[in-house]
Amino acid sequence: MRSLTAKLAVPAGAVALTLALAGCAGGNSTSNAGDQTLTVDTSFVVKTLDPGTVYEQTGNIAVHALYDTLVTYEGSDVTTLQPELAESWEQSSDGTTWTFTLRDDAVFSDGAAVTAEDAVFSLNRLKNLQGSASQTVQGLDFAAEGDDTVVVTSETPNPDVPVILAMPAASVLNSAEAKKLGATDAEDAATSDQIGTQLDTASLGSGPYVLKSYDPSTKIVLTANPKYWGEQPAYSRVVIQNVDVQNQKLTISKAKGDEIALDLSGPQAAELSDDLQVSGVADTSYFLSLNQDPAVSAVTSNPAFVKALRLTVDGEGLAKLFGEGATPAAGLVPPAFAGALDESENPVQDIDGAKKLLADAGLSDVKVALVYPAITYRGVDLGTIVTKVQQDAKKAGIEIELTPQPINVFLQSQSEGKNEINFSPNSLNYPASSSLVNNMAPGASTSLRTGWTLERADQSAIDASNAVTAELTPEGRNEAMIDWQHVMNEVSPYVALANNAGIVVATSDLTGADYTPAGWTVDLAAIAGK
Amino acid sequence: MTILPSDRVAVSRASRFRRDRLRVGGSLGTGSFWRPLTVVSLGIIVLWCLLAAFAPWVAPYDPLETVGDNLQPPSGAHWMGTDDLGRDVLSRLIWGSRLSLPLAVAIVACSLLVGGIVGLAAGYFGKAVDNVAMRLADLVLAFPQIILAMAVAAAFGPSVGNAVLALVIVSWPLYARIIRSSVLSVREQEYVVAGRLLGLPTLRSIVKDVIPNSAGPALVMSTIELGNAILMLAALSFLGLGPRPPAAEWGAMIALGSQNLGNWWVSLFPGLAILTIVMAFNLLGDAIQDHLDPRSRNARTR
Repeated sequence: MRSLTAKLAVPAGAVALTLALAGCAGGNSTSNAGDQTLTVDTSFVVKTLDPGTVYEQTGNIAVHALYDTLVTYEGSDVTTLQPELAESWEQSSDGTTWTFTLRDDAVFSDGAAVTAEDAVFSLNRLKNLQGSASQTVQGLDFAAEGDDTVVVTSETPNPDVPVILAMPAASVLNSAEAKKLGATDAEDAATSDQIGTQLDTASLGSGPYVLKSYDPSTKIVLTANPKYWGEQPAYSRVVIQNVDVQNQKLTISKAKGDEIALDLSGPQAAELSDDLQVSGVADTSYFLSLNQDPAVSAVTSNPAFVKALRLTVDGEGLAKLFGEGATPAAGLVPPAFAGALDESENPVQDIDGAKKLLADAGLSDVKVALVYPAITYRGVDLGTIVTKVQQDAKKAGIEIELTPQPINVFLQSQSEGKNEINFSPNSLNYPASSSLVNNMAPGASTSLRTGWTLERADQSAIDASNAVTAELTPEGRNEAMIDWQHVMNEVSPYVALANNAGIVVATSDLTGADYTPAGWTVDLAAIAGK
Repeated sequence: MTILPSDRVAVSRASRFRRDRLRVGGSLGTGSFWRPLTVVSLGIIVLWCLLAAFAPWVAPYDPLETVGDNLQPPSGAHWMGTDDLGRDVLSRLIWGSRLSLPLAVAIVACSLLVGGIVGLAAGYFGKAVDNVAMRLADLVLAFPQIILAMAVAAAFGPSVGNAVLALVIVSWPLYARIIRSSVLSVREQEYVVAGRLLGLPTLRSIVKDVIPNSAGPALVMSTIELGNAILMLAALSFLGLGPRPPAAEWGAMIALGSQNLGNWWVSLFPGLAILTIVMAFNLLGDAIQDHLDPRSRNARTR
């Protein structure tokens, strides 16, 4: 689970530059045959373009275009991995070892061949730099066998290895050149790596683009890599410019062509003219967690109350608040990912059922406190969402007192585990739904913050969680996630509300501008004119 | 150092206030106090007070319930449109006055009380008391008001009570300073000295001689500050530090609409509400001040 803080930089970063850019917004999208520039409007959240430390949204978009990973995803689909630097990969029967065979024609932008040694250097460096993205590769060991084979071993069976290696942070860089600049993959790389910000001025990748210029406050310019080993991208130049969310709507509405906007919210996208294309995939789930510790609340720890509150949820109504692309939540896994429940299983609001459950359990005039971060996430004020939850619960006689908290206060109170009900968004760190089990199984980190210990959990939830981790293959885990969610919908303290979509808006002359939940928002090299 | 409104009002005019004190009520009906702008301001204030008092009967819908489709632009059914949750903006606006107006009065009254006591003590007793009290006031004034209020409200957690408390904490020094400066000159007046020489106890001297003759400027300032209090309260709410949702509060309503300015009606109308009432209080305060301070009045009419 990606912690909320990671994305909170978005609103802060958004404020910084927008006023300055307001004036020039919209004036740069003249489209004619000779002009091969693609303009990308996004509110900058970027600290670095070094693959070893990249973590923020804007950085991921650029790094994905500058570098290649062993495997990747195409378009919006994050259920099927595609070959990139690796032409094939296989898992050992005990699930602990993955072997990747590299293609032999891939070259870096300076013409040098991409070897297994480069891949191992890059992955070890990622692991040892101990940045934000490093946590996903902890516990993995990387080794090269010859020039074209990379072997990844894990102490415990890990079916998510290929998924993790598709992240922009797992990009392969030219190890010989990087070492000249001071990079190292040694275990103490966190302190001994001397490359500094040199990867912000020139890229060392094998991707379809090379870095032309980088200014973390205004724009990032990419130009096509003339030595790219694959098919040349349609646009010879890409300008990623920092534009405030409010101005993005104006800019993209006035754009004549060759332009995309990445940060419009669902409600904003719904108001755009039909001339623009909107691509969205529901990949962020919003859920309530009800504290199971009777010492914290006798009400929320009562299973009948959890069920009753679940019945009051109006998923369709909530999805409407999130706007374009949003869906009601059938389970805890958003529909973008393999292992999500089918939309035919979307729960139906049942106020009478909720009332009956409460009455049978002897709960009358219940009053509970719901704590939520007072932020706008992806253009939607979380206060609006919980107010809707409050309205619906009231119909069944449940009174919810809303308590907004500044985000840092919220994170603190959440981790202390003393809140009756928490509300927060949840997006996956990498597109493998089974990673939810690591946090939300009984006794796991998120569960402990809601008092859901192994002792208090229903045996069925423990069994279902174990069933997921017992599966050694990605397919097996995705299958087990279906059952896991069914059980979680019955006995867990989590009430899934709705899924919000990430959105890419493009002018009508483009193809391939698809939003992807894979981590890089949109594949710049896949965008072409019609 | 910026010049505070309190400085403007206070600058050693205590003696004139002593004479004017009785005239305030008596001469309002005749002098130039009733200029058109003042009448309009008073009208707006009275109108808002009436709306607040009769909100349950005036408002067309329940302010907290979903009564229509989401984000409907102004129409016959919803004069000011509906917000994200399909709540009637007009109804929320009217109910919002029930929060803003009484809370503004409460903030000003509490600040006046706290600031008054501190200012009186500082001015009357002088020396160490004065030093300690005024340095404390300077300390609070050294911070930008809204930033300090945000910090206080954030520390206590969002609620109506805490927002009021935060604003009282940041605004009492204004009153303390203004009252202190009045008291400083009043306490040297012959009648105060005479009273003390005749054996009047300290408390009686303060209550009988000092307070009535030094309260004038602070009262004028309160009127101006009423508008300011509404504005600051809305600012705290805008930042999510005011009354808890789903309370209909003007600042929170603006915040909701600011996410998507395409739906202009969600933010515009509460914004206008704040604009009208704050301007009305400011103009009224100015009018009262001008009336009590002929020099400033002449400067204005000239």
